[in-house]
Amino acid sequence: MAAQLIGARIKALREERKLSQDDLARVFGFKDRQTVSAIETGERRVTADELLLAVEKLGAPLDYFTDPFLLVGEGRFSWRQTNVGSGVLGAYERSAGRWIAAFRSIAPQVGRASPLLRRALGLTRHSRFEDAMEAGERFAAEFDLGDVPARRLTDVMERELGILVLMVDAFEGISGAACRLPELDVVLINRHEVAGRRHFDQAHELFHILTWDAMPPEHSEEAKEVGGNRVEQLANNFASAVLMPKAALARYGEWAEFGDDELVIRLNTAANELMVTASAVKWRLVALEWLKPARARAISDAALRNNGHEAPKSIPPLLFSKPFMEVIGLAVDEGRISTRRAAGLLDLAVEDLTDLFVAHGVEPPAEL
Amino acid sequence: MARHHGPVLVDTNVILESHRIGAWAALAGGYPVETVEDCVIETQTGFQRRRAEQQIDAAALRASLAGIHAPGDREIAAAVVRASDIALDIGERSLWAHTLTRTDGWVLCGPDKASLRFGVRLGYRDRLVALEQLLKEAGYRPKEPLKLAYTSKWLEKTLGELVLAEEADRT
Repeated sequence: MAAQLIGARIKALREERKLSQDDLARVFGFKDRQTVSAIETGERRVTADELLLAVEKLGAPLDYFTDPFLLVGEGRFSWRQTNVGSGVLGAYERSAGRWIAAFRSIAPQVGRASPLLRRALGLTRHSRFEDAMEAGERFAAEFDLGDVPARRLTDVMERELGILVLMVDAFEGISGAACRLPELDVVLINRHEVAGRRHFDQAHELFHILTWDAMPPEHSEEAKEVGGNRVEQLANNFASAVLMPKAALARYGEWAEFGDDELVIRLNTAANELMVTASAVKWRLVALEWLKPARARAISDAALRNNGHEAPKSIPPLLFSKPFMEVIGLAVDEGRISTRRAAGLLDLAVEDLTDLFVAHGVEPPAEL
Repeated sequence: MARHHGPVLVDTNVILESHRIGAWAALAGGYPVETVEDCVIETQTGFQRRRAEQQIDAAALRASLAGIHAPGDREIAAAVVRASDIALDIGERSLWAHTLTRTDGWVLCGPDKASLRFGVRLGYRDRLVALEQLLKEAGYRPKEPLKLAYTSKWLEKTLGELVLAEEADRT
């Protein structure tokens, strides 16, 4: 693995610098390019002197070649955000990239490799919004998400689809992200968002993961439940249907027949029970043509704010996730990552790392 | 086992634990204790990665040490290429990078399993010692109990497990 990592990083940098294997062979003083090829594929181990030569001649720090907890041109992110500058987003992406790279590197070592095959939705950017909604309905039914799909969504994404779902502390304005690596799919969710928004973001990012090859998402998109470009609108329609299947909404009665006050009460009630926002329920009803758009627009935002509560009733979920912490815990226990390194990776004190293991129900390593 | 009289290389965890139980003077007085610059930095507030940080006087710590080393890129590279899949923290990696340059009768005291695994992989199992053993042989009885990972029994059990794990990884 060590030889593969260093070789892959040398190859990445060579390609970035637009050098051929022959060019690199001359830099290293090899007779031919075959030696470079063997190093890049991990067949041949790099010596310490060659590694230092790479540092010197390719102008990258030693850790670039040796730190497995870095994403080097491999991860593609799609962020959902509101008014977050590219500098802030870039800095946060580097932090998130380290967690993801660490998981990617460690999980196979502790027997938790990602699934070999990926699931995908058969939709394209030319699909109709109705097709996306139908796919969402079928997803909820086929994966047996039940009466409150938001409650089981994370479990299904992790267990059935092998997606790493991480609850994170993100800068204000960052709602979440989807990230695709060659061997791993990840969804990041800002755990400090209200529950309804978190669930919608998660289902939205799920759409991107399931359609990434057919319609790769933009690097950054504005977080909203309606509007956006075509791919975003398809994602929103899919997310709405996953979280609010027709059957779940039908049990509240004939929506078009409610008076104004009753409609607001029902919207807030349904939103609370389905663990989404009342605004999302409203626009889902419009998409189903169970509510006229003009009537939906006439409902004041204030009436639906916090699903009718004074303030959002929300305790943030635990940081990261149980599968993630299990992998870190196993790696620490097996001596594959040191406790201090793990704590540094997650930006925690050693005692806080122990507490987080315990909170997730993961056996903590020996106290240091 | 005969009492060790040669150099003792320690990491950040050992310096912190020795200070916590008031045993640092006994350890540094009983052996020529050495470490690396990165570990000294990690014992200072803001770098300890502990919830309640200890105040460890840097000048006093430096004065009590028989050697503080600063391995460069060459030594770090030599260590990393031998086991880059084991993710050590900066101080732990730096300590091993220095240790691998030595030819004298050193022992290393660093209780993290990843650091121990690094030592086992490179064939230094017999050079890995527990803080408890060092203090005992220096004639010091801690008034406060050591945490489990610093005890001789835990180290023996852990090294046995790591030897088996390394063998399993090779096959």
